Amino acid sequence: MNAPVVVRNLKKVFYDEGRGEVKAVDSINFECREGEVFGLLGANGAGKTTTLRMLSTILTPTAGTATLMGNDVVSNPQGVRKNLGFYSATTALYPRLTTRETIDFFARINQYPADQVEQRVEYLIQRFGLTKYADARIEKLSSGMKQKVSIARTIAHNPSILIFDEPTVGLDVLNALDVVDSIRELRDEGKTIIFSTHIMSEAERLCDRIAIIHGGHILACDTLAALRESTQQHYLEDIFVLFVKAGQEMV
Amino acid sequence: MNFSDIRVLYWREIRSALRDRTIVTNSILLPMLLYPVMIWLVYTGITFISGQNEELKSRIMLKDLPAAHLRLKREIEIDKAVELLNPTDPSTAVRDGSLDAFVEFLPAKAELAMPANFSVRITYDESRDASDRAMNRVWDKITAYRGSYLEQEASRLGLSKADFQNFAIDERSVSSDRAVSAFIVVLPIFFIIMLAVGGMHPAIDATAGERENSTWETVMTAATSRANVLVAKYLYVATMAFIAAFLNLFAMIFSMGTVLAPLFGNSSSLRIPLESAPVVLIGAVLLALFVAAGMMILASFARNYKEGQSLISPFYIALIMPVLFLQAPGVEFTWRVALIPVANVMMMIREAFQGVYHWQSIGITLAVETACIVVALRIAMMVISHEDFVMGSYTGSFSKFARERLFKK
Repeated sequence: MNAPVVVRNLKKVFYDEGRGEVKAVDSINFECREGEVFGLLGANGAGKTTTLRMLSTILTPTAGTATLMGNDVVSNPQGVRKNLGFYSATTALYPRLTTRETIDFFARINQYPADQVEQRVEYLIQRFGLTKYADARIEKLSSGMKQKVSIARTIAHNPSILIFDEPTVGLDVLNALDVVDSIRELRDEGKTIIFSTHIMSEAERLCDRIAIIHGGHILACDTLAALRESTQQHYLEDIFVLFVKAGQEMV
Repeated sequence: MNFSDIRVLYWREIRSALRDRTIVTNSILLPMLLYPVMIWLVYTGITFISGQNEELKSRIMLKDLPAAHLRLKREIEIDKAVELLNPTDPSTAVRDGSLDAFVEFLPAKAELAMPANFSVRITYDESRDASDRAMNRVWDKITAYRGSYLEQEASRLGLSKADFQNFAIDERSVSSDRAVSAFIVVLPIFFIIMLAVGGMHPAIDATAGERENSTWETVMTAATSRANVLVAKYLYVATMAFIAAFLNLFAMIFSMGTVLAPLFGNSSSLRIPLESAPVVLIGAVLLALFVAAGMMILASFARNYKEGQSLISPFYIALIMPVLFLQAPGVEFTWRVALIPVANVMMMIREAFQGVYHWQSIGITLAVETACIVVALRIAMMVISHEDFVMGSYTGSFSKFARERLFKK
């Protein structure tokens, strides 16, 4: 059986007025297995967000292919999005909708069966402990509550694949832990999760496999144990630095 | 296109809009309440000022009133708004403001005048309101007195009023009541202004507002096509523009009919003919669709609300300018005028209010507006197909975008 996410030679070139052509992502390859948390670990500007935006069909690849649940990101973007929940710091919620309306809207627009939407909304409200805030507008919620609603809206249509692009950026420790716990729960439910971060401890705790990305290239991709073994380093931070330096020397 | 998705997206937009104070104020409350409040304020102001004026006494001096006409003096004396004075130098008193009008009774100028006849010279200061008002009061008193005196004299000679009147003037205007009412000329202009105001904030909210709130990317990852998102947003903006225009129209008709018409004693001239409704409706729909498309294209180049407002402002002015130039009552709705977008709809609505329908010009108007809408939507689709634009990373203006991308061969 094919892996839920298959990325082959994926490339993205931007044109910048000052710098000319910029290769944000340069022929990367990876696969994500069912029920795993696949980590994309990289510094700012490494190409994590561009990769994830291509996978979520917001950006069109310059070259290469990517399929999610067998749907190609270029030829069948709607099929991809139907099976995908995308969460990032730049995917905010509509402030003037209530919690219930928000989850309802995203379930419907992401093609969840219309006759089951109400049931799904109630389930998610209870699951994330949002009953008290179900009819409160998003703008009135605390940032912790907003995070919960954000995750609820991401999985409103019960997608098989979830992308979390630096989900803990700007959150306090407790809220960040909540998000990490939620991701772990979703993994346990069998979701395939792509998790991008630049925070080593999060990647260590959460990811089943980690891809180290730098300068648009994937420098390494394996389990944490295998990476430790191959580099003879214990801490992920050291492993990361080792690969990045080696990558820079190669360039 | 998926109409079910468009419906879900559309109602999401409407629901959010109806909870936004700026949109509700500009698209619903302002068009609805502006005119009743404005008319009430003006009416109250006028009433207050005229009340104040009525209480002011006119200081008048009468000189050399013939003995046969002492009744005139009595009639002036009993008027509480008049105070008779007797300064030594009345002309100077009028000039320095201590007297409002100096009325001199002079011998009649005509050779065949009867012994009791007289002519009147009123000296007043036109630059002073009080003096001008005093002159009018005296004028009215003397005119009324002359009428009653002549009637009395005619009766004494055995003549009826009709016998001595010689000439009678009866006015009859051939224009309809509707045509004479000036507000019919002004109404379409406000209609268009309110339509543009009503569409402006929703257009910014649906584009730059989404970027500012970081919800743009959220909706871009939804399992629906970008065309569906665009159509839903477009219909939402057009709906709000249309609602604003119609609320404004109804508010104005209501205010004019209930507040102003009784004041002018001619309510029929302040009513819109019902048969104009289809033409007005079609005009409003076309205009709302065009304005929505134009504003959305421009606002979508903005990264925040403020930028959106400054980008839309020139379009707003471009909409209003031809309308203001063409609003003069003498301008006809010819086929040439029908070729000017927006102004043609204004003319079409104006004529419909007057019960006039130039079908050829109406046909051209519909064709021109439809063409404008199609072009605007085509541009919008081309704009949204560029991903740096969708991601908000494009930093140029619309004209730069058009030059480099839309019209690049």
